[in-house]
Amino acid sequence: MLEVRNISKSFYRKEALNDVSFTVGKGEIFGLLGPNGAGKTTMIRVINRIVESDSGSVRINGDLMVNDDLKHIGYLPEERGLYKNMTVEAHAMFLGRLRGLSKADVNTKIDYWFDRFEINDWRKKRIEQLSKGMAQKVQFICTVLHEPKLLILDEPFSGFDPVNVELIKQELIEMKAAGKTIILSSHNMKSVEEICDRVVLIDKAKKVAEGSIVELQEERKAGLYAVKFRGSMIAFVNALWTGFEVVDKDIHGGDKFTVRLKMRNESSFDDLLKVLIGQVKIEAAWEVLPSMQDVFIDIVQPRKENEDEK
Amino acid sequence: MKNSLLIAIREWKARVFSRSFIVMSIIGPIVILALTYLLFVFGDDGKQEWNVLITDPAGIMDGKINAHGSSRVTYSFANDYIEHEDFRDGKAYQDFDAMVEINDKVLQNKVSHVFYRTEPSTRMQTTVHYHVERRLEEVMVGQFTDFSIGEYLKIKQELVLGFHNVYDPYDKATDLRGWVGFSYGALIFVFIFLFGMTILRSVSGEKSNRIVEVLLASVSPNQLMSGKIIGIGLAAIIQFLIWCLFIGLGLYFMRENLFPDMMDPQNVVDQELFASAEYNRFVELIYRGIDYGIMVPFFILFFIVGYLFYGALFAGIGATMGTESDGQQFVIPIIFLLGFGLYSGYYVVNYPESDLATWFYYLPFTSPVAVMVDLAQSDSPGYETFLSLFILIVSAAVFLKIAGRLYKNGILQFGHRVRLRHIIKWLRRS
Repeated sequence: MLEVRNISKSFYRKEALNDVSFTVGKGEIFGLLGPNGAGKTTMIRVINRIVESDSGSVRINGDLMVNDDLKHIGYLPEERGLYKNMTVEAHAMFLGRLRGLSKADVNTKIDYWFDRFEINDWRKKRIEQLSKGMAQKVQFICTVLHEPKLLILDEPFSGFDPVNVELIKQELIEMKAAGKTIILSSHNMKSVEEICDRVVLIDKAKKVAEGSIVELQEERKAGLYAVKFRGSMIAFVNALWTGFEVVDKDIHGGDKFTVRLKMRNESSFDDLLKVLIGQVKIEAAWEVLPSMQDVFIDIVQPRKENEDEK
Repeated sequence: MKNSLLIAIREWKARVFSRSFIVMSIIGPIVILALTYLLFVFGDDGKQEWNVLITDPAGIMDGKINAHGSSRVTYSFANDYIEHEDFRDGKAYQDFDAMVEINDKVLQNKVSHVFYRTEPSTRMQTTVHYHVERRLEEVMVGQFTDFSIGEYLKIKQELVLGFHNVYDPYDKATDLRGWVGFSYGALIFVFIFLFGMTILRSVSGEKSNRIVEVLLASVSPNQLMSGKIIGIGLAAIIQFLIWCLFIGLGLYFMRENLFPDMMDPQNVVDQELFASAEYNRFVELIYRGIDYGIMVPFFILFFIVGYLFYGALFAGIGATMGTESDGQQFVIPIIFLLGFGLYSGYYVVNYPESDLATWFYYLPFTSPVAVMVDLAQSDSPGYETFLSLFILIVSAAVFLKIAGRLYKNGILQFGHRVRLRHIIKWLRRS
């Protein structure tokens, strides 16, 4: 669907992007991650043709991107903006028309989305009368009004309460199911982990990681396993012998525990289960993968420390 | 183009339906009409009400005078001859502002004298002149002819003999016409400033609330800028037309109801109101002295192109602003330029033939005012007017191009302090 090839961009002497490439498949939710100032917003602006890259190219379905392709893109920038004096309906009409929809089409879409988000009562309200969360919803609707094939969302969950975060997530998942491609930039790693298929991580203008969520987690797993059980902690520890090392434990009250441990001497997950069965009542056991938060920190932190040392 | 149109329509609606636009549409013409009215009424210095003593020892006027329609002059008659020194010093005459001396030969030599205490306005002079002359005409018509006074006035047609300086046939040295042109130019600059500031606020507002990023994902910076300038310009034209309509109606109302004698000779015949071609030089100028057929089309042309020229500057500055307050500093040079433009108009009024006036005539910063002054003073536009307009059009195109560059490179820069080196860098980048 979207192919970003060797994009570089500098603002005078400051390098914002350095030879960044990645591809986003059709119907994929793709995470564009990175610390503040890494170059994510510049990359998004390059894709949206708001900023011209110094070198490299952006292709859509194999062809070099042209202005006309913008009609098929929906963009929700990180710093949201609406005309405060306009009514919700007029605002949606204005942005829908700018995206190439006819008046009649915009009206149909407005009816659909306002019903879906249950905001019909807000139609005639001026933007300045809305709460921040309400305005965020209006912005999201304005972004998707023209049914873009590619949706680019910069921090789409910021400003929403948990209920609305869930609502937006569900919308994105449904859009993905309908074949839409979504690029999502967010610092909310939990959400990224939940809905993104693949991510690219940019740090200090360079791409530092790319892959599916699972691939990145697998690459950085520390050989940790967790066992949730009911029984005696002493019996549990005695059963482990020398093949395993307890890292930490959570006590859930009474005789319920979750213990994280590491393998020793080429012990396997099967060996672990074998020694424990009969000693404690195992409720669950799993390999502990790092969260995306951990992956993020794991990649970015050493680079930051190296930079500081220099 | 379509996107520019959508931006323009949004801007236009945002301005035209705003409260300030409606208020300005009403208050602006009212202020101008009120000032015009005051100029008409108090256009000349001098006392506005007069108590006049007519000394008529021969009883020629028979103690009668028709001051119908004027409550400004009160007449009293004396059948004695009064020396002007007695009138000046005599206690009995201190209430009178002036004394009209009707001697017994007045019907033959048509000479009379008025002695006043403080110099009367032109209007007061013509009023008294008219009243006395009409009464004497009545007496003469009754004594020497079989005509009615109405018939006599129809026959009577004064010869208008215009004296003109061959070196100044259009009376350019009379700067009153120039001042009217100046006020046209000033009006252009007032609109440019008001709506230029609107452009600046609109651009900086979109920057500060960040909607510009959403817009730029659909339209190019140039489309956004041109749509904005056009939309706000159309709102300016609408406001200008509303002003024209209200001011035109107001002037018409004043002519018909408050100053009717100016244009209608019938009033003279019917003697309903006093009349004189020299009634008030401002009234004369407004209703007769200006060739609106030439002034208005050129006013509109210079208004539109001048607005585009300065509008581009305002848009460019708006786009470079890091914060709203920061950008205010950069408005000051434009205000100076506009002030300089106004000064150029003042200069051209006073020194129309100077070399500097010629420069002002062609400089795009000053030409809207200088040309208006010149057009008001001359009868028709010459090739110089079209050349000046052409220079302004080319300059506006260049400035729009420059502003487009500033807009493109500066519109997404937030929170910075504007420095000249930034602007130079942005201008250098394509």
